[in-house]
Amino acid sequence: MDKIKKRFTLLNAVVEAMIKQPETIKYPFAAMELPEGFRGAIVFDPDKCSGCGLCVRDCPAEALHINKKSREEYTLLHYPARCAYCGQCEDSCRHGAISHSNKLVGATTHKDDWVLVFKDSKASQE
Amino acid sequence: MFRSLFHLLVFPGFLFLVISGLTFEWLDRKFLARFQRRVGPPWYQPLADLIKLFSKEDLLPKNANDFLATLLPLISLSSVLTAGLYVPIAGYTPFSFEGDLIVIIFLMSVPTLAYYLAGIISLGIYSVLGGGRSLLQFFSYEVPLLIALSGPAILGRSWSVSTIMETQGRLGPFIIFQPLGFVLAVVGLIGKLKRDPFDIPKATSEVVGGSLTEFSGAKLGFWNLVMDIQAVVGIFLLIDLYFGWIKMSHPILAIAIFVIECLILILVLSGTSAIFARLRIDQLAGLGWRILVPLALLQIGFVILMGV
Amino acid sequence: MDKISIPIGPQHPLLKEPLSMMVDISGEKVLGGSLRLGYVHRGIERLAQQRTYVQNIHLIERICGICSHVHTTTYCYAVEALLGIEIPPRAQYIRALMCELERIHSHLLWLGILAKHIGLDTIFMHTWHDREMVLDIMEEVSGGRISHAANQIGGVRFDLDEEKGEMIRKILIKLHSQVEGLLDVIESEPAAIARTKGVAPISPDLIKAYGVVGPIARASGVDVDMRRDASLPPYDQLEVKVITHSDGDAWARTFVRVEETRVSLNLCETIIREMPRGDVVVHAPRRVPEGEVIIRSEAPRGELFYYLRSDGSDKPARLKVRTPTLAALSLLPVQLSEINVADIPVVLAGVDLCIACADR
Repeated sequence: MDKIKKRFTLLNAVVEAMIKQPETIKYPFAAMELPEGFRGAIVFDPDKCSGCGLCVRDCPAEALHINKKSREEYTLLHYPARCAYCGQCEDSCRHGAISHSNKLVGATTHKDDWVLVFKDSKASQE
Repeated sequence: MFRSLFHLLVFPGFLFLVISGLTFEWLDRKFLARFQRRVGPPWYQPLADLIKLFSKEDLLPKNANDFLATLLPLISLSSVLTAGLYVPIAGYTPFSFEGDLIVIIFLMSVPTLAYYLAGIISLGIYSVLGGGRSLLQFFSYEVPLLIALSGPAILGRSWSVSTIMETQGRLGPFIIFQPLGFVLAVVGLIGKLKRDPFDIPKATSEVVGGSLTEFSGAKLGFWNLVMDIQAVVGIFLLIDLYFGWIKMSHPILAIAIFVIECLILILVLSGTSAIFARLRIDQLAGLGWRILVPLALLQIGFVILMGV
Repeated sequence: MDKISIPIGPQHPLLKEPLSMMVDISGEKVLGGSLRLGYVHRGIERLAQQRTYVQNIHLIERICGICSHVHTTTYCYAVEALLGIEIPPRAQYIRALMCELERIHSHLLWLGILAKHIGLDTIFMHTWHDREMVLDIMEEVSGGRISHAANQIGGVRFDLDEEKGEMIRKILIKLHSQVEGLLDVIESEPAAIARTKGVAPISPDLIKAYGVVGPIARASGVDVDMRRDASLPPYDQLEVKVITHSDGDAWARTFVRVEETRVSLNLCETIIREMPRGDVVVHAPRRVPEGEVIIRSEAPRGELFYYLRSDGSDKPARLKVRTPTLAALSLLPVQLSEINVADIPVVLAGVDLCIACADR
C-alpha cells in the first residue's frame, strides 16, 4: 500500500501544481519584495564622513577611491559597476557614514553613472 | 475545382492543420509549464517562434548537402499535410476512400525517415548520433503501433477511417473493446513524436539537438512545423479510431465533443512527458519488443475472437 | 563499428560550467574519455597573497557560486586559529546554520540537475523551486542570495532574532515534506531507477586510491564526514548522522544526497533550538602573527582543505585550497568506460561538478 502511494507521489505533485497558481514572479511587471537587510545600492551620508579612508583600504573590489590633499580637503569616489556589494565598507566605517540600502542597482547607459562622487569637500565648502 | 482547392488549402488542409499544430504546441507547452509550477508562454509564442526562425540566417556545415537539407523538411511537411487531409475531423472527411488508414500510417512514417536522413547528411557528430538513434527508435515503437492500429480496422472490417467510425456508431466506441490497444497506440504515438519519455533521438543532455543540431533558420522552422502537424494528425487519428462513435445531429455539438476529446488527449500526452524520465535506447528496444509487441498481439487476438 | 570521438564541452548543454571532455564511442557504447580542465582558472590563490586578510574574505567567497559560505567559514577559522582567538559560540552556531542551509540548497540543486539530465524536467523545476525557499532564508538573514558575506574575522556579521528563527523553522518544516516526496520519487519512479541503478559503480578501493571525498565516497561505503571527523566547532557539540550506502552506483549517490538533505534539515532545527545567547563577534587585529595552519571542513561536495601561512604582515604569505571536486573529476575518465552514451549525463551529474571550485 505504502509502495503504491509512493509510486504516485510525482503524479500527485503534478496535479497539485496544475491546480495551484504558478510560482513565477513576473519581475519587471510585478514588484519584487526585497528583505530589509538586502545589500543593494550604497548610500552615503557626507556629514558623518571624516575622510579616514578605512572603507577604501578594506574594499575588496577597489570600488571606492579617495583623493586626499589634506585632512579636510578630499574627494571620495564610488564606482558602482566595480562594486561587489559585499558590505565590507559598511563594516569598516566607524562613523556609520556609508551603508547599503535595499534598492537594486540596475544596468546603466549613462557614463555619468559609472562614477559617483560621494563627497567633495572643496565643493561643499564653497 | 474550387471546392477541392478549398479542401486542400483551408479546411481540412494547409491552413487548418498549421493553425491546429501551433495551437497544439502552445497547449502542450502551457500544460507542461503548469505541471512544473511555471506560467508558460502566451498563446502567440509558437507563431512568434516560427516567424523568428523564418527570418533568421540559414547556416549549414560546409560539406553538407544543401539541396537535400532543403528538400527533406519539405517532403516531411507535405507528407504530414497529406496525411492530415484523410483524417476525419469531427466526422467530416472530403477525400475518404477504402484503405486511407494505410495511407495515413505510411505518410506519417515519412518524417521519421527524413529525420534520420537529415541527421546523416548534415554531417555533425551529434546529428549522426541522433539520426541513428531515431532509426533504432523507429523499429521499437512502429511495430506495436501498427499492430495496435490494426485492431480498430479488424473490428470495423475496413481500412477506411470513416467506415470504422460508422461501425463505432453501431457498436459503441472501440475504446471499450480495446483499452489496451488505445494505450499502446498512445505509447506508439509518443514514440513517433519523439516526446518525453521517448525523446531519445533529440535528448539535449546526450546528443545536443539530435538530427537537427546543424539546422537553422527556415529549415528548422519547417521541421518544427512538421513535428507539430504530425502531433495533431496523430491525435485526430487516435480520437477517430477509438472515440469516433458520436453521430450528433447538430454539427456544433459534434465539434465541441471532438475538441474536448482532443484536449484530454493532449493533457495525457503532456502529463506523460512531465512524470516520466527518458529511457535509454536499449531499454526502449526492450520495452518495445518484450512488452509492447506481446501486449499488442494479445489485444489483436482478443479482437479477432470478438469478431468471430 | 568504428571508434569516433565526440567532444563534450567546453560548451555543451550538458554542462553548466566549462569543462572539456573527449569521449570515445563506438555506436552507443562508451570506450573511454579524457579530461581537460582550467577554463575558469582565475588565479585566486595568487590573488589572495596580494590582498589583506579582510579583503580576502570576499575574494574567497567568489571561489564558488554554490558553496561560497563554507569557503569563507573555513578561511575565517584558519585566520582565527593563527590569531589565537576563539569566536563566541553564538557566532559558531550561526556559521554552522548557514553551512547546513547551503548544503540543503546545493543538494537540491544537484538533484534538479540530475533530473534534468535524465529527462525529468518536472523534478528539476520542483526542486529548484524548493531550493528557492532556502535562498529566500539566506537572503532574509544575510542580505545576499548567493554571496552571503556572512563571515568576518572574529565572528559573523548579523544576529538572528526570535522572529527570524521562527520564520526559518516554518520554511524548514515545509521543505521537510517536499524532500520526503523527492525521496519517494527516487525510490519508486521506475524510469528514474532504470536510468541510475547499476550505472558506473565505484568500488571503495578506487575511492581511496583517488582520494575522493564527500557524498560520492559515502555512496561507495567509505565513511568520511569532516563534520564529525574534523570536529570543527560547533559540530563537536552536535550529533551528525553520516549517511552511507554500499552500492556505489548513481542511484546510491542520489540516495545519499537526498538523505543528507534530510539530515541537514534536522540539524538546522537543532541548531536554531540550541543556539546559545551572547555576542556574535569579537575584535580581531588586522596583522596576523607568523605561523601556518591547516583547517578541514565539510563542504556540500566533501572535504574542504585550507592551508594558510602567515609571515606576520596583514597579507597571507600562502593560501592553498583543496576542493573536493578535483579529486572526483580525476575519477571521471575511469568511470567513462563500459557505459552507454546515454549514461554520460548521469555519470557527470553524479560527480556533482563544480568546475569553479576545481579550477579556482
